[in-house]
Amino acid sequence: MVFNSIQFVVFFAVVYGAYRILPHRAQNWLLLVSSYVFYAAWDWRFLSLLIASTVVDYTVARYLDVLPDGPRRRRVLWISIGFNLGVLGFFKYFGFFVENFDALTQWFGVDVSVPVLHVVLPIGISFYTFMTMSYVIDVYRREIPATRHPLDFAVFVAFFPHLVAGPILRAPALLPQISSPRRITREQMVEGTWLVTWGLFKKVFVADNLATVANAVFAQGHSPSALEVLIAVYAFAFQIYGDFSGYSDIARGLSKWMGIELSLNFRFPYFVRSPQAFWRHWHISLSTWLRDYLYFPLGGNRGSQLATYRNLMITMILGGLWHGAAWPFVFWGIYQGALLVMYRWVSELPSARRWVGSLERPAWRVVGWTVMFHLTCYGWLLFRARSASQIASMTGALLTNWTHTSLEAPHYAMQLLFYAGPLVAIHAWEAWRDDLDAVRHMPLIPRYMMCVSLAYLFVLFGEFGGSQFIYFQF
Amino acid sequence: MTTTRGRLALLAVIILAWFGVFEASLRVAGSSEADPTFRNLFTLDPVIGYRLHPSTSIRYTTSEFSTDISINSAGVRDEEIGPKPPGERRIVVLGDSLVLAVQVPLQHTFCKQLERRLNGRGATHYRVINAGVQGYGPVEDTLFYERVAARLQPDLVVVVVFVANDAIEASDRSFRLTSGGLPVVGARREVVRNIRRVVRASVVLQILSQRWSQLKERFRGGRAARPDRRLLTYATPETDEVSRGLDVSREALARLAGHVTGSGARIAIALMPARFQIDPEEFERLRAVVEPAGYRMSVDGANDRFRAALSPLNLPLVDLLPALRAANRSGDVFFASTVHLTPYGHEVAADALLSFLDQAHLTP
Repeated sequence: MVFNSIQFVVFFAVVYGAYRILPHRAQNWLLLVSSYVFYAAWDWRFLSLLIASTVVDYTVARYLDVLPDGPRRRRVLWISIGFNLGVLGFFKYFGFFVENFDALTQWFGVDVSVPVLHVVLPIGISFYTFMTMSYVIDVYRREIPATRHPLDFAVFVAFFPHLVAGPILRAPALLPQISSPRRITREQMVEGTWLVTWGLFKKVFVADNLATVANAVFAQGHSPSALEVLIAVYAFAFQIYGDFSGYSDIARGLSKWMGIELSLNFRFPYFVRSPQAFWRHWHISLSTWLRDYLYFPLGGNRGSQLATYRNLMITMILGGLWHGAAWPFVFWGIYQGALLVMYRWVSELPSARRWVGSLERPAWRVVGWTVMFHLTCYGWLLFRARSASQIASMTGALLTNWTHTSLEAPHYAMQLLFYAGPLVAIHAWEAWRDDLDAVRHMPLIPRYMMCVSLAYLFVLFGEFGGSQFIYFQF
Repeated sequence: MTTTRGRLALLAVIILAWFGVFEASLRVAGSSEADPTFRNLFTLDPVIGYRLHPSTSIRYTTSEFSTDISINSAGVRDEEIGPKPPGERRIVVLGDSLVLAVQVPLQHTFCKQLERRLNGRGATHYRVINAGVQGYGPVEDTLFYERVAARLQPDLVVVVVFVANDAIEASDRSFRLTSGGLPVVGARREVVRNIRRVVRASVVLQILSQRWSQLKERFRGGRAARPDRRLLTYATPETDEVSRGLDVSREALARLAGHVTGSGARIAIALMPARFQIDPEEFERLRAVVEPAGYRMSVDGANDRFRAALSPLNLPLVDLLPALRAANRSGDVFFASTVHLTPYGHEVAADALLSFLDQAHLTP
């Protein structure tokens, strides 16, 4: 039941109708039941996993709350972490490690036949596991008290707008909103409507149409030309952005309609000039999670320069693996880690400080955006590729195959311009105004002009096949 | 502009202004079959329903191709065809959009490629005439032959049956075989007729109308609950509609065969598969839509069904599926955004047809 399906429209209409007339506690029961129905619509069997995760982490957190500091408390914490990582490891990484172990032993000439289990990945597991882990760790650190209300905690974990593709919410931000009665303001209704509409536009007009271009080139058996690779990677960059940020916008919009504020997950990530800034603007809820629960505990930047680089690399490699159990995600994590390390190293050079002022000039800003956008795009090539050999062949094509251009390339380029153009133009305007709601804050006539044109594009050219969101698979 | 009425008026003006912009842009880009330019290719016919408009030329452009299409004075997509010169052998190919092939230039269609291959062998001069019309099935092929194609003096008629939708279309249009014209319907309200006329004249409104139909279809029970009727040609158990369509197809082709053989010519049938039959991923997607509704899909099911249904006619028959499936491993035989053949697909179809005509001794 994806947000861009008729089934979801009907589901939400029924739930929302009831939500608006029920009192607070009944609303929470409604949210819990509807979230479980929403999750079970994919595969009811994995509902038990979601419930088990909720029960274990609620119980552990309650216990941690009353236990005095000491080794016993730490051991209890590890019950939760072990359970969560165990579930995640089994369902998400078991096959990957077995396959690679098998390949490694064969390489050494030893035939160890490890049984391969074809485990289905429960949808949204990476998102809700990280949410419950962060809650338990926060309680362990005594940053928040454990909630006494199992219903509130169960809604916090399963709240359907964010359940399957984030944002990865923190308990201090969401739990109080669930525990207290909610008042839905007119402003929230208006903002929610804009976010849902804009999110659907990003998904249905931008992402799903550009998927055709990216899929066509990435699926080719033969080596594509450099131009095709470039267009496909640009297309994928906007596809994944439109898909994921579109989902986040819809999730935030639906939540606003219910009087609940979810955290921002994207803020113009393609208009940044450094890898550090990229991670402050892209999938913000994951990058801050990794920072707070992995990078800082590893030591962050408190040790030597080398230790900082090591911590960055570990964090980004595990961040890559969070996306999926496949080598391209590992390569992508290594690449992102290397970009962060190199940027840190260069920016700490004494000679670099002399350049800092001049980099703020408009021309250099454009150069900075362009370079960073292309570095990000190369990362997307690693991310989207199906295998290491495809990464090698497409990188090779980018470097050498500029003479041959296929007949399809101009068509792909036109599609890219048509489907990504409106998104880039609107985001450029918003980024220039430094206002995520710049469209809503426009004078009446330009605002109507903009909204009506987007509506026409959406209806006339949207791809309404109801395809799934990319991040569901993570 | 602070009153609600003022804002609504402004919104209406902006909606109309953008309507004009999109209408003009779509007409210039011409990227849809709903484009009035494309629809200019067709004219109403009192017996068949519609056919190609004689002596018409358009340029048809989409994101994947841009093609010049010319319809000759006889009403087929071919060069002018005069009286048959002595020694010339004519093959008329009947069928739907897969034969008409607006996606490729005329010379790339399998009809013209077949013609070049036949003439390349020297001895006899062949003329292969593309008599395909968008949306036709066995019923319309038969009527089109009677009204138009018989005058082209064929020595051989090849009917290309598109197995994916011809049974259902034949079932829907069987009335044309018996009544000899459009069904008698009650007088429609003038206003509805006028709305339809307006919608037909606008690309934007036609797309909106298609979107509305899709939306209604999905609200009517979801795709899983009500699979596309045409897909049921591949499904078991066989539906009454498919059975009736196969019967009508056989009846229509028997009538066509009677006319053709009566004039001293011969007739053969070619089965054309759908794109998803050679694309396992696409087939799996369709299967996931159809099977929850209680059917079992077979990738070759429609071909098997047509072969069995037409076998009592004892006509030479070739199934193009094996050749297209084999060729798809070395290149795309179908376009990505439409279910039609690429130039390479036409090449493969021409080779398969040539080989079939030789084996069936249809090319003396």
